[in-house]
Amino acid sequence: MLNAHPDLTASVLIGLGWYYLLMFLMNLAWTVRSYRDDGEYSNGIPRAAVWAVYSSILMMVSAYHFTYPPEGFLISMPSWFRDPFDRYFSNPVLFFVLSILGYWAMIALREWWTKPRVAWVLLNISLLFMGLSLTDYDFRQIVGKPDNVPIVAMLFIVAFCTWIYFSRAVDNDRRIAEGRPLFEQENNEKVLVWPDLVYTELICMVVLTAVLIFWGIALKAPLEEPGSSVKTPNPSKAPWYFLGLQEMLVYFDPWLAGVVLPSIILGGLMAVPYIDFNKRGNGYYSFKERAFAVSTFLFGFLPLWVALIVLGTFLRGPNWNFFGIYEYWDVHKVEAANNVNLSEFFWDGLGTGVPKGTTLDRILLREFPGILLIIGYFAVLPPIMGVTILRTYFARMGVLRFLVFSNLILWMAILPIKMLLRWAFSLKYIVGIPEWFFNI
Amino acid sequence: MSDPKPSPNDIMAKIRAQKAAVATAAGAGSEPTAEPKPEASAAPAAPAAAPAAATPPRSPADIMASIRSAAKPAAESSAKPAAAKPAAAAAAGSPASILASIRSAGKPAAAATPAPAAASSAAPAAPVAAAAAVPVGLSPAEMIKAARNAEAGAPVAPKVVLPTKPLPGKAAPAAAKAAEEVSRRSVVGSVVATLFSPLVVAWGSFTAAAAASGLALARFMMPNVLVEPPTKFKIGPPTDYAPGTVSTKWQAQFNIWVVNSDVDGVRSIYALSTVCTHLGCTPNWLEGEQKFKCPCHGSGFYKSGINFEGPAPRPLERVGLRLAEDGMLEVDKSVKFQRELGQWTNASSFVSTG
Repeated sequence: MLNAHPDLTASVLIGLGWYYLLMFLMNLAWTVRSYRDDGEYSNGIPRAAVWAVYSSILMMVSAYHFTYPPEGFLISMPSWFRDPFDRYFSNPVLFFVLSILGYWAMIALREWWTKPRVAWVLLNISLLFMGLSLTDYDFRQIVGKPDNVPIVAMLFIVAFCTWIYFSRAVDNDRRIAEGRPLFEQENNEKVLVWPDLVYTELICMVVLTAVLIFWGIALKAPLEEPGSSVKTPNPSKAPWYFLGLQEMLVYFDPWLAGVVLPSIILGGLMAVPYIDFNKRGNGYYSFKERAFAVSTFLFGFLPLWVALIVLGTFLRGPNWNFFGIYEYWDVHKVEAANNVNLSEFFWDGLGTGVPKGTTLDRILLREFPGILLIIGYFAVLPPIMGVTILRTYFARMGVLRFLVFSNLILWMAILPIKMLLRWAFSLKYIVGIPEWFFNI
Repeated sequence: MSDPKPSPNDIMAKIRAQKAAVATAAGAGSEPTAEPKPEASAAPAAPAAAPAAATPPRSPADIMASIRSAAKPAAESSAKPAAAKPAAAAAAGSPASILASIRSAGKPAAAATPAPAAASSAAPAAPVAAAAAVPVGLSPAEMIKAARNAEAGAPVAPKVVLPTKPLPGKAAPAAAKAAEEVSRRSVVGSVVATLFSPLVVAWGSFTAAAAASGLALARFMMPNVLVEPPTKFKIGPPTDYAPGTVSTKWQAQFNIWVVNSDVDGVRSIYALSTVCTHLGCTPNWLEGEQKFKCPCHGSGFYKSGINFEGPAPRPLERVGLRLAEDGMLEVDKSVKFQRELGQWTNASSFVSTG
């Protein structure tokens, strides 16, 4: 019987053979490093032996992929992993909660995961996960799309840059605690612009150009049919770097998610140097000296931007429904998403029914719970924060700077709050006045 | 140079040494600038080259250092070019030539006299330069002494007291003369001169070009022929639309869906615009789920057009529909009916068939 969507084909196996060969070479180099640096176990066996065994297994796996036909091939994503993964991870709530937990773990366990050996194990796990997943047809359809190749690359690049930051910062924090000089002072890498920097830049430029040319030749341009005002591709996805913005648009009115929030993000980033009163951590990596600033930035960047890009790329399918990463994109997947405004919750809860009418007083009466809530959120919360949890910040910033700062924090928090409210209570809008195109 | 790759500290030391030497030379040379030379503005880079030539450079570091140190004398002498020759002389280390130039200079104040003769635009600059050049309260004897000290090798910085203001006695008449000249010019002449100044010409042509392209853009907005579908068109008799169905046959051509459905118990036909009220994508009619579903952000609408899921804040809009005199349904897309404004009760927004 002919399978239209085969999980394994000869070309897939050859590609995965190269993939595992690359992993083998990487781990071979790691074995050499481990033999040189890691020492021995108590019984005299070098620690590198583990890596040597792992590398040789990878080599055999690679050879297996190169030589064996697809029929009866044994290595593929096991269904006992795939099916529960699809069932639970096609859920945005779990994905978002896990991304927040991952963010918390990244900061709390930074001393552990910045160790090179731990980081290498994590990298290997993620690569094995990726390699095994690639044996699934539907996963390949998403990851292999030319549009999405940069996103997969971005995930590894972001992880690597974050790792560099945290390993340097952890090192410097330890040095500060022990009273030793900073890494940047001890290993002064000051070099001359000419020739050192200029040559480095030249080499980077040449390599980047070569990569782009290779990319342009190897991957087909993701062109679609000619545009039409009456036919929207399904799903219709923004450029990958705007997928976080598109995800925001699901929870907010267009003018808010498309105009106000991006403006606040840009303006807020510009305001950061004027808000920041912490003079430490300047010119060297450190986490403990800038814990609040770094945590806030990483919260906005990782869970609220990168994780939303991942969500938009891998978990959003036709009709903007959620799909598991191994799930077939069924256009007719039905998802109950009956959303209710806060005013309906309130007035139906009172049992009086939503006030009808489109005159000014009727609209204001209808929406007054939401309006009060929004005013309270932006007007009452900052002073409360100023005298309670952020008292030290208020004392050091002064009134004006603190108001700007606290409002930016509140604007950043409104996105996850609204997302959680939508998922938990199917809340559509807190203030919903479609008559004036004003919805929050 | 003995050291093939000097460290930054070496380079800095060299630069400082070079600067000190040149400063001595330039200081000695700047005294006798009284030599009257009206063709002042034609100051070449010669003075800069002169000190540099005294110590032939052998490495890029030396060249950089000499250029940096020479920049100062060069800047000064561009205002008072007379310094060029004495500077060179000083570099050569001959007090005799300095003395000779001082004597030929005559009165120190003579430098100020060419100022009025210079072009009126340069008038304010000239007295300043002259004033800076004139060493007030420095007698020839002192100069000779300074020159001798320089010859002996001691880096003497001659005490040059510069006036904080241009000499008032000289500058004031110069300004008055310049003003007199302007007033004597004809008004037309000055207006023409202003109109054809490079700044005005440049900005004027830029403004003209921008205005021309703006006009072209405005013209582009009003094309001769509009290739848009008509806003009023007929879509066949009501019997074409079976009860309880959504017709998508006009979606591609006219951006409307025609729905035959019950509205408050009355069987009626209405036409919905295919523009999603969230961000304007075109939703798809899903027959199995009996709903319109937008692929961009997941907004969903009932058959009636009322929004029930996703972020769409408003129901879909109805367009005008009426039964024409010939028994055909006629759509009028130039009018819109929004439910949230209570316009769906308008008789032009549906055709009752029940």
